[in-house]
Amino acid sequence: MAELLRRMLNAGCAGGPAEENAVDAGPPLMLLGGLGSGKTALLFAAALEVAGEGRGPVLFLARRPLQSLPFRSGAALDPLRLQKIHFQYPPSTRKLFRFLCSAHEARGPAPALLLLDCLEEYLTECHQPQEAAHLAALLLDTAAHFSHRAGPRGGCGLMVALQTQDEADSGDTLQLALLQRYFPSCCWLQPIASDPGQRHLRACLELGGPDPQTVWSVTLGPDGSMTVTLLSTEMGNPSSDKATSSGVGQSL
Amino acid sequence: MAVTLPEVVEELLSDMMAAVRENARIPDEHLLSLKFLFGSSAMQALDLVDRKSITLISSPSGRRVYQVLGSSGKTYTCLMSCHYCSCPAFAFSVLRKNESLLCKHLLAVYLSQITGTCQQLSISDKQLTNMLLTEEEQDQKGTE
Repeated sequence: MAELLRRMLNAGCAGGPAEENAVDAGPPLMLLGGLGSGKTALLFAAALEVAGEGRGPVLFLARRPLQSLPFRSGAALDPLRLQKIHFQYPPSTRKLFRFLCSAHEARGPAPALLLLDCLEEYLTECHQPQEAAHLAALLLDTAAHFSHRAGPRGGCGLMVALQTQDEADSGDTLQLALLQRYFPSCCWLQPIASDPGQRHLRACLELGGPDPQTVWSVTLGPDGSMTVTLLSTEMGNPSSDKATSSGVGQSL
Repeated sequence: MAVTLPEVVEELLSDMMAAVRENARIPDEHLLSLKFLFGSSAMQALDLVDRKSITLISSPSGRRVYQVLGSSGKTYTCLMSCHYCSCPAFAFSVLRKNESLLCKHLLAVYLSQITGTCQQLSISDKQLTNMLLTEEEQDQKGTE
């Protein structure tokens, strides 16, 4: 999934869209950020991207229905793509567990992407670290099962969004470390100062391990369009105002 | 990282697999490496393998889960796709203290795959759902 995000965000840059391992979604990815940092928008953008690939459907799990579509132009208006995104709203952690444990009973084509929003709300009902680990493990196991069902030419990506607090307490830190055990690839989202009607975000992708961080600037326009600029692939602290020569705006 | 094994462990397991294919037993040097990497869990895991305590459970959907009959008589469910075990040692040594890479049950699953001593059980899709859910219910009970 991290590869998908990277590909999506790099689509306007030198890399180009044609990659041999287009079907390999890569490791599961966790989006992290505070309220309004664009997590749901990114999940939805990933949903649209995969829905347009001609593979299986997209399963979008959330605590409650989206109030409005994050985007209102381009791919977001394509009814064929929207049809392939199946929304489910498990109202409790227990129901979410039940959904994941029974995912193999479903008939029909295997999903090509599994998305989960509001992970933090489901985690508040996990009183022990083992429950949180169990939930993370079941998410991975469900995606692995879908990948297995899709066969050698398919695969199911996994992306989850977790809202973080500005002031994390030790419990939050422990829980995050536990989640990162199952989701070593993380994308940290941060809103930066915006104009009226436009949201600017900073997205920092860490794949885990020795790979360098990649940082983008993402702008969500008033019509819901998304413009992405690559800022840096430096290790350590990238300067947020430095755009590389391959940084090209990409409208989705 | 939970989801993939470190290279050194992968290598050892694959060396063991090759040796077992040739000689039908695990060479002493591999056992030593296993002890070095996993401490006391190594012998406990081998013991579980000897007792044929590991079962691969699958359903027509193709989804699979492993169950290990622990030394205490309790059965634990292991998700091998990403390394999760419902046993208390996993919660403590692996998750909380980050001391161990795998609990003895997860290690036993790998070893039983290598030695070919895994039992197999086919159940219906619905039964597999219930089996996975029972673990969740046990999580819940633990908090009461």
